[in-house]
Amino acid sequence: MSDKVNLTIDGVEIQAEPGSMIIQAAMDNEMYIPYLCYYPGMKPYGACRMCVVKAEAPTPDGSYRALPGSPASCTTPISEGMRVETNTGDLVGLRKGIMELLISEHPHGCLNCHRVELCGPTDVCLRHVSVNDRCVTCPKNERCELKDTVRYMEMELTTPLTYNNRHLPLEVKDPYWDMDMNLCIVCSRCVRACDEVRGDQAITLKDRSGRSIIGTAAGTSLLESGCEFCGACIDVCPTGAIVERDYKWDKAVQKVATTCPHCPVGCQLDLDVNKRNKVVRSIPNRQAEANMGMACFKGKFGLDFVNNKNKLKKPMVRKNSELEEVTWPEALDFVASKLENHKNGDYALIASARGTNEDNFAAQKFARRVMKSNNVNVSSNSRPKLVDSLQDLIGDDCASNKIWELLDSQVILLVSANITEEQNVASVPIKQAVAKGAKLIVIDQRETELTRYATKWIRPLINSEPVLIGGILRSIVDQSLEDHDFATEKCEGYDEFRNSLWDFDLVKVSAQTGISQEEIREMAQIFANTEASSILYGLETISDTHIDDTVKSLVNLSLITGNLGKNSGGIYPLFSGANQQGSRDVGCVPNLLPGHRPTASPGIDLTEISEACSSGAIKALHLIGDELFHNTANRSGFLDKIKATDLLIVHQSFASEVTDIADVVLPSALFTEKTGTYTNMEGRIHRLRPALGPVGDEDEDWRILSQIAARLGSDDLSYSSSHDVLIEIINEVETYKTLEPDSLDSQGHIRKPILNSSYVFSPIEFTQREEPSVDDQYPMVFAPGRVLFDADRDAGIVTENDLNTITRREIIEMNEEDAKKAGISEGDVIKILGEEFELTGNAHLNGLHSGMVATTTLFGTLIESLNNSTEPDPMAKIEGLRLCKVRVEKV
Amino acid sequence: MTTDNDNLRTRIQQAIQSQKRPTITVLSSLLAIQDSIGHIPEIAIEEVAVHSNTSINSVFGVASFYPNFRFTPPGEHSVEVCWGPTCHLKGATEILESVLEKLGLDSEGDTDDGKVSFRFNTCLGACSQAPVISVNHELYGNASPDIVPNLLVSLYEKENLHQ
Repeated sequence: MSDKVNLTIDGVEIQAEPGSMIIQAAMDNEMYIPYLCYYPGMKPYGACRMCVVKAEAPTPDGSYRALPGSPASCTTPISEGMRVETNTGDLVGLRKGIMELLISEHPHGCLNCHRVELCGPTDVCLRHVSVNDRCVTCPKNERCELKDTVRYMEMELTTPLTYNNRHLPLEVKDPYWDMDMNLCIVCSRCVRACDEVRGDQAITLKDRSGRSIIGTAAGTSLLESGCEFCGACIDVCPTGAIVERDYKWDKAVQKVATTCPHCPVGCQLDLDVNKRNKVVRSIPNRQAEANMGMACFKGKFGLDFVNNKNKLKKPMVRKNSELEEVTWPEALDFVASKLENHKNGDYALIASARGTNEDNFAAQKFARRVMKSNNVNVSSNSRPKLVDSLQDLIGDDCASNKIWELLDSQVILLVSANITEEQNVASVPIKQAVAKGAKLIVIDQRETELTRYATKWIRPLINSEPVLIGGILRSIVDQSLEDHDFATEKCEGYDEFRNSLWDFDLVKVSAQTGISQEEIREMAQIFANTEASSILYGLETISDTHIDDTVKSLVNLSLITGNLGKNSGGIYPLFSGANQQGSRDVGCVPNLLPGHRPTASPGIDLTEISEACSSGAIKALHLIGDELFHNTANRSGFLDKIKATDLLIVHQSFASEVTDIADVVLPSALFTEKTGTYTNMEGRIHRLRPALGPVGDEDEDWRILSQIAARLGSDDLSYSSSHDVLIEIINEVETYKTLEPDSLDSQGHIRKPILNSSYVFSPIEFTQREEPSVDDQYPMVFAPGRVLFDADRDAGIVTENDLNTITRREIIEMNEEDAKKAGISEGDVIKILGEEFELTGNAHLNGLHSGMVATTTLFGTLIESLNNSTEPDPMAKIEGLRLCKVRVEKV
Repeated sequence: MTTDNDNLRTRIQQAIQSQKRPTITVLSSLLAIQDSIGHIPEIAIEEVAVHSNTSINSVFGVASFYPNFRFTPPGEHSVEVCWGPTCHLKGATEILESVLEKLGLDSEGDTDDGKVSFRFNTCLGACSQAPVISVNHELYGNASPDIVPNLLVSLYEKENLHQ
């Protein structure tokens, strides 16, 4: 392209993007300049001075003017015709001098020990190097950028065994990672990653000059400092100063690029596998367009369940009320012989939220073709209404834009979603956009992490969200802020929709929602007066009856402002489950066949399935996957109900309460043992690659189903590999037609969107909001929130049984009137009791809506309980933050 | 117990809010707090963070960068010895040694009883009177080690007088 800049580096003519720095230009052209503090994607910093170069730029008269001194190539922008030298004798000498200064405070026995080339992997080092300096005591040994850089520079390290040891204590208070600031070279990458990239500012550069070091305010624990435990600082650290605690010393013998199974962002991760066949680390892929090198606490530290020794290894069949291990043929024969009697519609199958497209395609085909039942679903599909209307109105049922387009949105409207926890990496572009000046409007009763970043945090009365959005729409029309051309030319039904708005009188809306008219008008102005506004909705606190209305209103809002089909605009439904989108695409839902074709007789919903089991409508239940209770609030009730079935077949990887009551347990392969594909929330298809070999007889779900099908006399599922299944998916699912399986890399493949010829406005109705379901026993509604940092509360860390736990005074927010009635005044110790939990804290009367109590448990507490968990897969059991009914008592 | 803390918090909030300047920054707020309270307590970091919409860590990074901010309450009296070039030539070293010895300190810092905060000063701006020593911001020129014991004793006596 002609708009590139031409320059010469070390005599090689290259082209680079205008505005880039010399080091980036060199990197893009596969040339190396040593660097330590620079990191692609972060602002240039110029701290380490390793990347010094000599540069000269042409002047108008044709001569060259040398840039003064030896500029750092990470802070020097390129210019047309520039000539850069990176390796002259002077520069090499200068760099060596700088490096000597850097490692004068860093243990370097790993570099100058005379046995460094001689030691075998099993040699025990006893006397050559002092203990603190020994290569084997560094967790990053042979993964260290500092060491690699020194080696590249071929330095003669004649330094003896002395260096200025800082004698700082090792910091091990925090969950998941250890910090050894004696190894830090103060490049500040971690501080910048936390601030610039993640927007958290959980760590900082303390003190000044020679005493400068990385830490938190006043040395508090990361749990209190606002850390979200994403591990970004670990990923950028060039030395062993910040490292993961689990498998700290383990070396990788193999790296496997795969997809994270925890949420619909579909982060691309490189898994380190050690020689004992364990996944020891996960490092997010920096090139992947879905996550851009980001991960979250789940993807970074929540994968250890794959190494759990208690994995189910053999099929088991219940004989005389005891589960007994049997061979695969025996188990499959047993299942087939039993299923033979359930082909009459009393069979239901729930597939796994972590199932691949292949598994879930096979699952729906098994249920529909072999078992003749439309009762097939996926465990993450607990609120299908979230996307049903979206599909009706705009054609497609997934996010209309890419996740990282949010970065350039000017206004982001987030409706009732705790995105930092559920789809963490998608919150990164939001925070970055806010840092760049975008406005964030959060509509949520709960305090979540993003409310801290919000320009406006609106807390409407429960279930009044559709009316509130209706009010915003009305206000947009009243103030003539609509994109009239877009609404009339690209959409249908505008006039009818506009007429339906006359019911939304702002006085009425305000009374119904508890939000003032001014605020509604202001939100309308903020949202409509921009180039690009996007909407994200999770609707986690809205009852099912109101979800459909809210989605319609939100689509209308996006249409009336002309934000659909626009870059950095659009609408994003936020569901949970890694492959919820893919499951819908391949028809693993009761109302859709593969390729979004509606079925004439939809099967029953996930919410109805337990009732159907207890009433006898479902006699055979087939459960796939461990995270069945992902969204099931009342797990004991659910278990009792499904116990009533005649036949309960489960495919699981770990023993659980479900396997305890199952008739047949089939060991299912984990995501690290599978080949297949996931589709993320933006419709990007990613590949899963096997990282671990099987430890027992466990198998992939599609193959198990295919073998059962064969025994039931069906050849519908006669596949020999998951690739065969994928080929069939590509043939059957219109949106996957463009997918070329062989060229699927970490960038993934965006599936072809389903496009309506024009978007459709849907008239909305002013409905009285439904009062939340409370009863005499539990008369209040509790809105739990989860944030990272709350300065108002005293916190302490207690170390007990070698585990750190965080203790903190809980603050329970209440309405003044409610408090007066209950005889509670500010600061009283009160207790809230729910059906399955209780919480004690100090009352804080701050004008919350009547009938509600709210609290903010800290994200840190969640991290802590996960870190200390002994469950094989604690991530699957994280409770979402949903409204629930409680009562309040004074203690 | 919380009232003490709440009291301090209110004083900090007042200090932040009563700044009369067009732009209020983290640094200006920290300065205002130190002027009003004498040091930067931990909750001041929180209050500045909330007020400036940033994190406690960033505020602490700024506060810890400047040696002039102190995180513990200062002693009741301040003693500063100038060690600028003029004072140095005129014998500040002996005065320093004498002060350190009398206060029982090795270097800059607070005495164990919290009565006196001692600091070096690069120039007290009274070179013609060198060497200079400052006690509670009151300058004593043409000082010699001999006057140090009296000066310091007078601090403790003043203390008694106040009581």
